[in-house]
Amino acid sequence: MSPETRRGREDNESMVQLAGLTKRFGRNTALDGVSLTIGPGEVFGYLGPNGAGKTTTIRLLMGMLRPTSGTASVLGFDAWRQSREVHRLVGYVPGEPALYDRLTGNQHVAYCSHLRHRDDRRRAAGVADRLELDLDRPARTLSRGNRQKLAVVLAVMSQPRLLVLDEPTSGIDPLVQQTFHSILREHTAGGGSALFSSHVLGEVERVADRIGVVRAGQLVAVERLQDLAARSLHRVRARFAVEVSAAEFGGVPGVRDLLVDGHTLSCNAPQSALDALLKLVSAREVEDFECSEAPLEETFLSYYGMDGQPGQTPPAAAGTVARTAAGHAH
Amino acid sequence: MLTSVLTKTLRDQGRLLLAWALSLALIVATYAAIWPSVKSQPSMSDFIDQMPEAFRSLFATSSADMSTPTGYIQVELLSFMGPIAVLIYAINAGAGAIGGEEDRHTMDLLLSNPVGRGRVVVDKFLAMVLGTFLLAAVMGLSLVLEGNLADMVLPPDKVAAAMLHLALLGVVFGSLALALSAATGRTGLSRGIPAVLAVLAYIINALAPLVDAFDRIQEASPFFQYIGQDPLRKGVAWDSVLVSALTIAVLVALAVPGFRRRDVAG
Repeated sequence: MSPETRRGREDNESMVQLAGLTKRFGRNTALDGVSLTIGPGEVFGYLGPNGAGKTTTIRLLMGMLRPTSGTASVLGFDAWRQSREVHRLVGYVPGEPALYDRLTGNQHVAYCSHLRHRDDRRRAAGVADRLELDLDRPARTLSRGNRQKLAVVLAVMSQPRLLVLDEPTSGIDPLVQQTFHSILREHTAGGGSALFSSHVLGEVERVADRIGVVRAGQLVAVERLQDLAARSLHRVRARFAVEVSAAEFGGVPGVRDLLVDGHTLSCNAPQSALDALLKLVSAREVEDFECSEAPLEETFLSYYGMDGQPGQTPPAAAGTVARTAAGHAH
Repeated sequence: MLTSVLTKTLRDQGRLLLAWALSLALIVATYAAIWPSVKSQPSMSDFIDQMPEAFRSLFATSSADMSTPTGYIQVELLSFMGPIAVLIYAINAGAGAIGGEEDRHTMDLLLSNPVGRGRVVVDKFLAMVLGTFLLAAVMGLSLVLEGNLADMVLPPDKVAAAMLHLALLGVVFGSLALALSAATGRTGLSRGIPAVLAVLAYIINALAPLVDAFDRIQEASPFFQYIGQDPLRKGVAWDSVLVSALTIAVLVALAVPGFRRRDVAG
């Protein structure tokens, strides 16, 4: 599609570029015209319910699947036609990390090091140490969490430019997740990028710069996490000395889930609506007032819905890049 | 042993190859142990002579003389047991080469390294070739060494020739299995089709003297390349070796693009 995909130039602006990426399996369209760009040093959280197309996107980017149409490229190298060049730049944690049952962690490290023509054993040992993983045990004796850790060790040990992580922290306990997050931050501090998929926002919100939401094979939204945070909802409750009506508060833009019952009001409001709402509230005699920030997860669910059902329409707030993927192929 | 896809594959097959090698040495030892009693029983040859012709064609190579070590080994080992053992190993190794890693979901891990798919196919092929030749070599060595102990003296150069043809027979069907495995990723299919074709090739070669239709296509049968020119008696038949080598080359040349153009099962 794009002419630069053949060159693979270092000075290319984007680390990852997906352009109209589409994958059909028989009559089933698993991915439908997904376009996105990931810049250097950026962590992109790729969110969606199970079966939405996250793993398909990732395996297309890894050259395991051949796109039906569109392209995926890493630093200008085409993911399908130049997969060897891409793999030299990328560390990959597959969704269900399958390992060689009879090989120990160290043997996995040795094998992958040889295939990469590098010696990453010391670095691998260091990462394994931080994750508290014993590299001397055969993979078949490892728990799910430890298998995940070994997959992470194998992905990061070669100091790749890009990490492609398919639900890397599922099965890993929260303490180790923190270690993983700091490993990820060190990676991005050195200019590395990451594509980090998950079906829950909570898993990526601490590390992602932007998030993309994929649903039924389509990219339905891409947002900066800080923009989402700015639109994060606040739960507002107020009790008045006088009776109030819903109509009095209905005019504030952005207010959702408004419920007025006699003397009490409750609603969810984005930060931008708080000032107008507070002025309306304080114009009446207030007996009690409560305002608390909802978890980002809740905001996110309210906007995009993660259960496979469309959520409420995201507000067309200025500065957001909520966009639907173009070029639906049927 | 973990320096390349080739050595890793051989390492994976280590125990399996050892078990096969021991079994083959044991089978040959059994035949060698029976030899003294067969030699002193001329009725064995009469028995074969009296078999119906079709039956004799299937289980004994033409003009086999059970009173000589060469004839005995030809009937007992080379017409049936030897090829079956080598074919089972080679077809399994070929079918498991690509599809096996996909079945165990390790192909994503392997291919996420900067290793081309063509390289994976070629390394898996070489591992299958080395394994097959190793088994043929073990069988040949057993024949010569164990045969000497039992007074079943076989000329080493002719044994080597027969084993070369046997190994090539295995590699032909192993390469077919590998090509199917590479192009489809389906292990069962990649095992089943070569197995059925091997049986057909065997029947065509064996019954060619009796069935006109088979006679015309006999020389296309890999079993003809294997034993049709009697390597245990006459040494290497280079034209057959060439046909086998070309067949193998074509199959590997099909396997590489077959794997390159398809999706990898995750």
